[in-house]
Amino acid sequence: MDSPLLAIENLRTYFYSRAKRAFIRSVDGVSLGVTRGETLGIVGESGSGKSVTALSAAGLVSAGPGVISGRIDLHSNGARRNLLDGLEKYARVTEQDGRVVAVEKDELGWRKHSETLMAGVRGKEIAMIFQNPRSALNPYSTIGKQLVETIRLHTNLRGEREARERAVHWLERVRIDSPRLRFDNFPYGMSGGMCQRAMIAMALSAEPSLLIADEPTTGLDATIQSRIVDLLAELKTETGITTLLISHDISVIQRLSDRIAVMYGGTVVEAGRAAEVLAPEAKARHPYTAALLASIPSAETIRRKSYLQAIEGEVLDTIEVPRGCRFYGRCNRVTEAIRENCAGLEPPLEEVSPGHKVRCWLYPAAGKA
Amino acid sequence: MSRTILEVTDLRKDYSQRRGLFSMLTGQERVIPAVDGVSFYLRENETVGLVGESGCGKTTIGRTVLRLTDASSGRIVFDGRDITNLSRAELRPLRREMQMIFQDLDAGLNPEMRVRDILREALTVHERPSDAEITRRIRELLEQVSLKDSKLANFPSELSGGEKRRVGIARVLAVRPRLIVADEPTSALDISIQAQVVNLLRDLQKNLGLTYLFISHDLPIVELVSEKVAVMYLGRIVEMGLAENIAHQPRHPYTGILWSSLADKQTTEVTRRATNVAVERERRTWGVFDFEQPASGCRFAPRCPLYKDKGRPAVCTDPASEPQLRDVGHGHVVACHFA
Repeated sequence: MDSPLLAIENLRTYFYSRAKRAFIRSVDGVSLGVTRGETLGIVGESGSGKSVTALSAAGLVSAGPGVISGRIDLHSNGARRNLLDGLEKYARVTEQDGRVVAVEKDELGWRKHSETLMAGVRGKEIAMIFQNPRSALNPYSTIGKQLVETIRLHTNLRGEREARERAVHWLERVRIDSPRLRFDNFPYGMSGGMCQRAMIAMALSAEPSLLIADEPTTGLDATIQSRIVDLLAELKTETGITTLLISHDISVIQRLSDRIAVMYGGTVVEAGRAAEVLAPEAKARHPYTAALLASIPSAETIRRKSYLQAIEGEVLDTIEVPRGCRFYGRCNRVTEAIRENCAGLEPPLEEVSPGHKVRCWLYPAAGKA
Repeated sequence: MSRTILEVTDLRKDYSQRRGLFSMLTGQERVIPAVDGVSFYLRENETVGLVGESGCGKTTIGRTVLRLTDASSGRIVFDGRDITNLSRAELRPLRREMQMIFQDLDAGLNPEMRVRDILREALTVHERPSDAEITRRIRELLEQVSLKDSKLANFPSELSGGEKRRVGIARVLAVRPRLIVADEPTSALDISIQAQVVNLLRDLQKNLGLTYLFISHDLPIVELVSEKVAVMYLGRIVEMGLAENIAHQPRHPYTGILWSSLADKQTTEVTRRATNVAVERERRTWGVFDFEQPASGCRFAPRCPLYKDKGRPAVCTDPASEPQLRDVGHGHVVACHFA
């Protein structure tokens, strides 16, 4: 249970924005571990860096002068490999006052090396499902063909007929009605929910060690969303697949995750067991997590028709990262005692109780650091 | 009681679809009724929520009542005047009284214009105010939507999602509308920003006496902002009543399922109550539905848990007896033979 499958250490993923002539620090020093058999849910708003964290782990960050640094260790088949190993040779980042001022990058070398590192990992060890399943499926090929291809590529079932049987089996497992008929359907003939099921079948049919589910329910109808969540919950019990789940929808995260990481402005601001992070009367909680939970209308709010508790201000833009706490400008819990710290010094992510970490000056554990 | 500002009677909107070689050769068209006989009304200063899955016709209703698209049949009465067949010229003075907030944050925001010019344009569409008046009104609009002065010089691409939404709302307010159709006004926004916008819309309603037709798939938000809620299924209203009754004492099986799928995701006690065990069990075995070929009789029957529990009564699939909305008390109407 406690052996880590994926260990992300001090991950930094920066992009260059030509329009703004500045580096966007999408992921800015993230450390996370996914333990075998568990589901780690990353929740955050747009621009928090949650998706880029996942894309970095899958080696899918290729855009322009984007740079990744840190370590991403994948433990599988008794071996450990760093998915970013040696990439630093192809890019040099010049920093000044903690701000990136220049990046020199050998684009081609970087990409080639990244492909070498990811060969045999992406698709096989790490499978992904995305938002917008229809655009992730090949429109010119039937669902069945695409599944068979995945199975023959990634498992030891090389024969056409065996792979076909396995494909039908997977369609059944993701609860697609009449799988043998659906086998010959093209993606456009299927509903969004059905396409997402097919995507999930495809991802799992490679028998990966890690499933990355990036916003798997976003864009689907409410009734379909809850059935996809049901399916993911059932498959989790059946297969015990280790999952990195990314969503902005805290209710999806709540339903599926064993542990939760809350991201804001490219950093993890709170992490811990799901029950603890979301507990209604948590002793320690990051003000951002509290505000996120409060901005969902509660039954009480609806009944009294009262105002929603909005988080004032805008989501942090990760170009101009403030010197102090990244949430300082929007935080409603700053006290005089800690104000100086909040404004000038980024709080560390410190343990407030065993396994529960919060990045906030409010908690004495952080103060000691 | 305040007066009725919008009354829609038996509204229909068909879309025709020509597809494939056969229909091209024969010239046959398939007619898809996106809105299929819908009636409702809005009283001044109230909010009616319109919910349902995508493709059920919610947005089409919004667009049709504002005459952004023409109705196939039925009657739309705005402020005592039948506007169903008004010409473009006749509609023009009415346009300013009825506005739409679109789901797309960029809708109506010309990417090549600064915020100041976007608002100026909106202010001068229907009137010719003086420059001083324009400046005053722009300041007033900014205040109403809580947007900083400094944003006036920005282009839309330089704004965040929340700011774009505020500019979009300011643009709509510029013509001083009375009725606003808000089509998924929050769905493109982050959660923390959604709450800001919902609060803003409610404030504006209070201060300016606005009437909203609030289209959304976000059930808690709809329940929060609306006095009445209409639930749509495949082009028809299947249930309509006070928001709290729709949410907590639904009569139509579809309404129950909609709210229970929400409860599934977040297990709050209150929403759980709306779920009954049969619904829960049957929900997993829903078939796929086809908008283009609705079932005969009750269009919900193929997915209906009640239909199965009752042993598939013939009345549910009898083409001659599609269930009509009937009053079950307190203005709560439901279209189901067994509700």
